[in-house]
Amino acid sequence: MGKLFTFVGLGMVLVLALVLAVVAGDYGPWYFAWMVGTVMIVLIAGCGAVLFDSQHEKGKGEI
Amino acid sequence: MPLIDPSVVDLSRLQFALTALYHFLFVPLTLGMTFLLAAMETVYVITGKQIYKDMTQFWGKLFAINFAIGVATGLTMEFEFGTNWSMYSHFVGDVFGTPLAIEGLMAFFMESTFIGLMFFGWDRLSKPGHLAVTYLTALGSNLSALWILIANGFMQNPQGASFNPDTMRMEFNSFLKLVFSQDAQAKFVHTSIAGFVTGALFVMGISAFYILRKQHREFAARSFRMAALFGVISSLAVVTLGDALGRLDYLVQPTKIAAIEGLWQDSAAGGSAASAPWLLFALPDQATQSNRAEIGIPYVLGPLVAHSFNTNIPGLITLEKEAGPRIEKGITALTALKAYGQDHDASALSTFKANEKDMGYGFLAQRYAPDQDLNLITPANQSEVIAKAEKDTIPNVFVTFWSFRIMMFLGFYFVALFAFAAYFSLKNQLERNRWLLKLSMWSIPLPILACEFGWITAEAGRQPWSVFGYLPTFQAASSHGLGYMVFSLIGFALLYSAFIAAELYLMFKFARLGPQPHHKEAPEAAATAPMFAAPAE
Repeated sequence: MGKLFTFVGLGMVLVLALVLAVVAGDYGPWYFAWMVGTVMIVLIAGCGAVLFDSQHEKGKGEI
Repeated sequence: MPLIDPSVVDLSRLQFALTALYHFLFVPLTLGMTFLLAAMETVYVITGKQIYKDMTQFWGKLFAINFAIGVATGLTMEFEFGTNWSMYSHFVGDVFGTPLAIEGLMAFFMESTFIGLMFFGWDRLSKPGHLAVTYLTALGSNLSALWILIANGFMQNPQGASFNPDTMRMEFNSFLKLVFSQDAQAKFVHTSIAGFVTGALFVMGISAFYILRKQHREFAARSFRMAALFGVISSLAVVTLGDALGRLDYLVQPTKIAAIEGLWQDSAAGGSAASAPWLLFALPDQATQSNRAEIGIPYVLGPLVAHSFNTNIPGLITLEKEAGPRIEKGITALTALKAYGQDHDASALSTFKANEKDMGYGFLAQRYAPDQDLNLITPANQSEVIAKAEKDTIPNVFVTFWSFRIMMFLGFYFVALFAFAAYFSLKNQLERNRWLLKLSMWSIPLPILACEFGWITAEAGRQPWSVFGYLPTFQAASSHGLGYMVFSLIGFALLYSAFIAAELYLMFKFARLGPQPHHKEAPEAAATAPMFAAPAE
């Protein structure tokens, strides 16, 4: 039952996010682009750090 | 009403430009560093590796120095609207004050509250809780910029307000139009992402300094990697968003775009709009309305400005002439408004309403009217007054042209620098390419310079208006004495220079010290429990 509530809750968040995205896309396309773009920039920078750890776990010392 | 002494207007402009440019030395770094810190802390929370916590705390310390001094320089600017720009505040205070109040009450308070939790909450909050605080600080600092740029967007392209002839001021009629104005949106994304570039190059440059000196090697390499990737996407975004903002300005402020491009004659004047050159270099001369020493690239202007080969882009001389009929209608509007103000005559109000959208152009004529009274303009002297006022509709072309080019050339330089940095970082070849490390280090101030020139392009290109098409800058100032303006200008220059000196001293001191407290080179793999660790067997 707990898992069901979790899925329902996450599903509602997803629907809300989609509605907000559609509204933001219509009235504030630039703001929407900023939100999506900023999240992407942060995630790619984070991925770069994780990749660095992965590369250096293999024992290569050069940076 | 007599006009304000032009020297006082110039000094008021100089003082605002000076305080805004000083303040803007700090703002972009705050905008960008917060999200870079959030990225570092996200990796810490996910992987549990201590080194990412050290990175967040060390770069956070440099961010805090910048934030504290940046706040001090920003506070005075809001008061300047009241002290030095009282006519402006009266005319659009109803509209302009709202985003400024929201900025203070919502964004700045949010940012200031969470910044305290961010610095003092490491041992008091859970990992996800502290991460949420860091993201809220980043969001708060960028929301702060958003509301300021919404206010500035109104000055560039007034939306969501109308003029009330009974109160003689612009009054709100749509909050949504103000917030979702295309100009405000485009300006916000361009400015915010330019801040990301500034933050990324700051971290990358100082990390390059450590790598060159073989200090804090693992720490610096990770910081460099994250900043390079953060910067490469941000720098690409800032160029493309800048192009989109230019396209928008072409539609709403054609004089600004023509000044940016040093375009005196129409783009089709040479026979074909398609072959019109984009000027790489020129020395615009306002007096002769021409350029000296032009070096241009044919077939680039149309696609760049209008996104079309066939569209004729009007030149400054054409735009100046097009302002003539608007000035004439503006004179009619203002004389009718004056008549309505005296006896509330319905026909005067009707005449004003018919010519209202050109009201601002009437103000431009006022300084050339006999005794600066529009009622004294007669058919005999009208053409002379209009011809003089037409000249004022064009911004300073040399300043706008070159400030734009410096910003743009720097923008493309950042794309190249971050691309090389990301490539060599991903290949783990940074130490082999010392030229790149040195270039990164010496490039730290350049994004701030680009932001400053971007701001000059936007504001100098908007002239002669403080609110585009409605209120000329020379009508917007307060009627201070010259002595007061000179004294306060010198005071601000000295005080703000002291702030800059303090910032540079502290930044150099703490950057040289490096990440001292926790991190040791060898056990960088030592990790605390990651947030998403696999459960123990």
